[in-house]
Amino acid sequence: MIKLYIAIFIVSLLAGVGYSAKYYYDTTQNTIATLRDNNAKLEVAVQTAQQSVETLQSDMKRLGEINNQLQISLQKAEAYGDELRSKLSKLNLVVEALKDSKVLEGKMNGASAKLWRGIVGDTGGNADIPTPSWLQRPPTGTGDQSSNQSGEGTDTNGDSTKASPVK
Amino acid sequence: MEKVQIPTATRPKPVQLSDTRVFVVTKDNYEEFVKEFTDIYGELAFVALSMKDYENLALNIADLRRYINQQKEIIVYYEKAVTEKENGDEIK
Repeated sequence: MIKLYIAIFIVSLLAGVGYSAKYYYDTTQNTIATLRDNNAKLEVAVQTAQQSVETLQSDMKRLGEINNQLQISLQKAEAYGDELRSKLSKLNLVVEALKDSKVLEGKMNGASAKLWRGIVGDTGGNADIPTPSWLQRPPTGTGDQSSNQSGEGTDTNGDSTKASPVK
Repeated sequence: MEKVQIPTATRPKPVQLSDTRVFVVTKDNYEEFVKEFTDIYGELAFVALSMKDYENLALNIADLRRYINQQKEIIVYYEKAVTEKENGDEIK
């Protein structure tokens, strides 16, 4: 009889241990599965974050480059005004007019024509507009006959002209 | 990370400027100017500017031109910022 009780006890004990082992195994497997899922999600999150950082870095680099280009362009846009101011500061238009009004007139008209065409070109228009006939005609009156009134070379950049108030 | 797509606006039509003519007049060529001016325009009515005012007018126009060009460059900058990808291809 005692042997029977001992046998029942041992079987119960083994069943308890087996159930515990099974419970532990299942719980552990569930935990492992959850951790695997979390790990996969974290890997995706890290990958996305890395891509975002790389995109931001490349964007910052590109924006830096086009910002540098912008600064150069903005500086270039100052050139015309600076050049004009410099020319006007060196010239006395009253003296130039008294010296030879026709030469100055030709330069002024040529420079004006060039400026209007420049602005048309700046705004995307066709700057290749023919100059008016009065600008192309040879100088008359008291002016220096060698002065250039064609609009070409009417600024100080031209070799054939003495000086010009406006480009 | 997705970038917000902003369509670029069409540029305004270019300016259309007419030629302007100035006459440089001194006491020495005034008579000649009156004759030439009347021959061209019929009536003797004109706007006179001192040399200083002419200089100011030229400088004012130069400054306006600078402003137009700088505004244009800033627009180009923003257009590049919203349309170009890293490799230079446009998103459009």
